[in-house]
Amino acid sequence: MNEKLLPSEIFQKRLKSAREDLRKWNQAQLAERAGLPPSSIAHFEAGSRKPSFDTLHRIATALDVTIDYLLGRTESLDGAEASDPLFRDVSKLTGEDRELAKDFLDMLAKRKK
Amino acid sequence: MAISALGLKMAKQKAEAFLRENNYSTLPIDPLAIASKYDIAVQAKPSSVEGVSGMLLRHGSSFGIMYATNIASEGFQRFSVAHELGHYFLDGHLDHVLPVDGNGVRVSHAGFTSGDPYELEADYFAAGLLMPGNLFKRELKRADSGLTAIEALAGICRTSITATAIRYAELTDDAVAVIISTGPVIDYCFMSDAMKSLPQLTWLKKGSPVPRETQTFQLNADPKNVETAKRISAEIDVMDWLGGSRSVIIAEEVVGLGSYGKTLTVLSSESIGLQAAGWDDEEDDENLIESWKPRFRK
Repeated sequence: MNEKLLPSEIFQKRLKSAREDLRKWNQAQLAERAGLPPSSIAHFEAGSRKPSFDTLHRIATALDVTIDYLLGRTESLDGAEASDPLFRDVSKLTGEDRELAKDFLDMLAKRKK
Repeated sequence: MAISALGLKMAKQKAEAFLRENNYSTLPIDPLAIASKYDIAVQAKPSSVEGVSGMLLRHGSSFGIMYATNIASEGFQRFSVAHELGHYFLDGHLDHVLPVDGNGVRVSHAGFTSGDPYELEADYFAAGLLMPGNLFKRELKRADSGLTAIEALAGICRTSITATAIRYAELTDDAVAVIISTGPVIDYCFMSDAMKSLPQLTWLKKGSPVPRETQTFQLNADPKNVETAKRISAEIDVMDWLGGSRSVIIAEEVVGLGSYGKTLTVLSSESIGLQAAGWDDEEDDENLIESWKPRFRK
C-alpha cells in the first residue's frame, strides 16, 4: 500500500477524495472550515504546496477524518491511530531516547480523548 | 531538498509572521506557551540523558515535544523546543520525519548529515521565533553596545549568548563582528553591515587561525580561561583581526563560554559608519548555515 509515495503525496490524493467524495465541499468551503486561506486547498491538491503538521491537523479536524487517514497510514477514515516519533534519524536514537519516546507516545495515546 | 538561503530566510519569516498574526508583541517569547496553545504536550528529558536535543512525536492527532536538559542552559532548552515547533509549523516537514511506508522504512536524505536543510530550517524558525526582528530591534535601540548589549538582549529574549550574538550582528546598525572560536581556530564570524563597509576586509572562514596579536588568542591559549568564563576587553586595530586597508581602533571583548568549550569575541566600533559596502551576502548565508549547527550536534 502506498509504497514509495511521500506522505505529502498521499495527502494530496486523500485530501481531494475526502473533500469531494466524502464531504462534497468545494475547496473554498473546506478552507473556510479549516481556517486557511481560500487558495490553499487548491495548492495542496495540486501538489504545489506541502502542508505543515499544523495545517494537516486543521484539515483533518475540518473533514472529521484522522490524520493517519490523510497520511495513508490507515485505509479507514476513522481507523486505529498510529504513533510516530517524528525524528528523521530514529535509527540513531540512543536506547534511553527510544525508551523515553515510547513512554511519551503512550502518554500521548492516553491523552487523546 | 537542497539547502537554500531563501528557504532558510522564509523559515525565519514564517516564525515572525506567526508571532504577528497571533499578536505577540513583547519579549521573551515563550515556546512552551505556544506549544500549550496548540495542545502540543511538552516534556523535559531527564538531565542525565544525553542523546537528541529535541524530538517531535505524534499519536493520532495528539502531538508532543521532548527536549534535552543535559545542557543546563535555559537558552539552549528554549531553542530546542522552538526548533521542534519549527518542524510542526513549517510546510513540508512531514516528509522529513515520517516513514514512507508502514514497515519502518524512513525517508532517506543520504549526504545530509549535519547540513540537513530541514534541520536548518527549524533552526532558523527557532531564531525568528525567539528573536523576532521587529521586537529585537526595538530592544536593540535601548541597549548599550558590544558584549553588554548582547548579554542584555540574551536576558530579555532568554536565549543563549551565541544565538543572541549572531542575531545582534545581523540586526545592529553599529559596526560589529561576532566571532566564535575553539582554541586557536575560528568556528565562524558574522559582521554587521556597518563593519562590512570597511574596505578590502579578509573573510574569516571556518577553520582559519585566530590571529596571534589578539586578546582572543591569549585567552584561548589556556583552556581554563574558557572553562572559567574569563573575560578580557582591550582596544585593538581592526586590521589585526579583519585585515583590510583602513586602520581603525576598535574594542575587542572576549568571554569564555564555560562548558560549551568555545569563546565569544565581539569587535565593535562607534567610529565606523555605514559606507558603500559591496559585500557579498552569500558569504553571510554560508556562515549562517554553519552557525546554528553546533547546538544540535551535542
